[in-house]
Amino acid sequence: MEQERINGLVEKYNQGQAGPADIRLIEQLIEEGRIDLSQLAQLKQLDDLVMKFETPAPSADLDDNFYQMLKTVKQKNKRFSWSRFFAWPEFAPKLAFASVMLIIGFLGGYLFFPSPSSNKEVAELKDEVLQMKEMMMLSLLEKESATERLKAVSLTSEMSSVSDKVTNALLQTLNNDENINVRLEALEALKPFVRDSRIRSELVRSIGKQDSPLVQVALAELMVQLQEKSSVKELRKILENKNTPRDVKKQIEEGIKTMT
Amino acid sequence: MKTPVQDLETFSDNALMLKVKDGHLDTLGLLFERYKKPLFGFFYGMNKDPELSEDLVQNVFFRILKYRYLFRGEGDFKTWMFHIARNVNHDHYRKNKLGKAESVESWENRLGHDDAYSVQLQQDEEAKMLTLALGRLPADKREIILLSKYQEKKYKEIGEILGCSEGAVKVKVFRALQELKVVYQQLEKQM
Repeated sequence: MEQERINGLVEKYNQGQAGPADIRLIEQLIEEGRIDLSQLAQLKQLDDLVMKFETPAPSADLDDNFYQMLKTVKQKNKRFSWSRFFAWPEFAPKLAFASVMLIIGFLGGYLFFPSPSSNKEVAELKDEVLQMKEMMMLSLLEKESATERLKAVSLTSEMSSVSDKVTNALLQTLNNDENINVRLEALEALKPFVRDSRIRSELVRSIGKQDSPLVQVALAELMVQLQEKSSVKELRKILENKNTPRDVKKQIEEGIKTMT
Repeated sequence: MKTPVQDLETFSDNALMLKVKDGHLDTLGLLFERYKKPLFGFFYGMNKDPELSEDLVQNVFFRILKYRYLFRGEGDFKTWMFHIARNVNHDHYRKNKLGKAESVESWENRLGHDDAYSVQLQQDEEAKMLTLALGRLPADKREIILLSKYQEKKYKEIGEILGCSEGAVKVKVFRALQELKVVYQQLEKQM
């Protein structure tokens, strides 16, 4: 609607000539914000009167009652009450906080202190892996390729503990393998277990079975390191052997000297 | 040197109410001092019963204390307070089943019996006529005029109290003033 027509309508209303249809139209324009209530002069006069009109003041009783009520509520607030503690609006955040802390506690406990049952599971798993490695090692030792057998022997270095089956296999390799490198590697692999007297005596016995000077020297050095006096007899046998190279004999002799 | 109370007096309504929410219940006293008169005026305008109006003002502040945790500080405190005031008024009439039974006569009788207030009003002819005219309006129209007065014509906020649009509030005010004008003119003729 044009502004001029709106102005005309307002004018008509202010002169008290607006009919019901005009009133409806005015209401619509007021709702749309195109006519301001202050434009309607007659109503504005009355509205001003309403705004100006002073209501009587409340009595002093209101003040007294209010401050008394405030005092009572404050006193109640100071006292601890279970019903207030559990009042939902205030209790809900407390409950939420407690729940979160509980969950964090459980998670922390689970992560930092694994339960005995999970400990047992881990141990079982480790055991299974070890057994698998042993099996792999034993089967690799059967291979024809020396490289595969070398790999098998070096596998023992990854094992934290080994069974007698493994040490026996290593001793057998040391005594019987046709490849010198594999035998030397087997001797190397047995070194961590020399505290075991059975292994030490097997090593002493192994001296007489070796024909390779390299292995003989390596064994002699190990015996010196261990100060294994029982090996002297076996070492002397090597010295007595005509086929033993001179350098080897010299090294073994020096070794025997340090032990006797 | 300013005292802490003087400092608080310069705080906005919302800041004070948030303090109340935080447990500084004494701060409500400042809001009470600011709004006891407008609230009393609103209730008195609705029922013309000073004692009842005082009780209802007290109820409003009691509810403000009780439901202080609901105040979020996003809207205007005054709007929230008048919202509560309106509910207090409705609850009172619902409880006492006076709402519909209330007649203009009983309302005028109350005005007549209340000497302290009527004397004050009689001194001002215009005010007396206006009070009478307001009393003859239906409760919803009387309410919108009083809300417009005490909310200082902030129609958007009144819309929030009534749950309608700003435009709808303006139309309600227009209709109420229209009716008030008619009643007022009738009274003028009788004088």
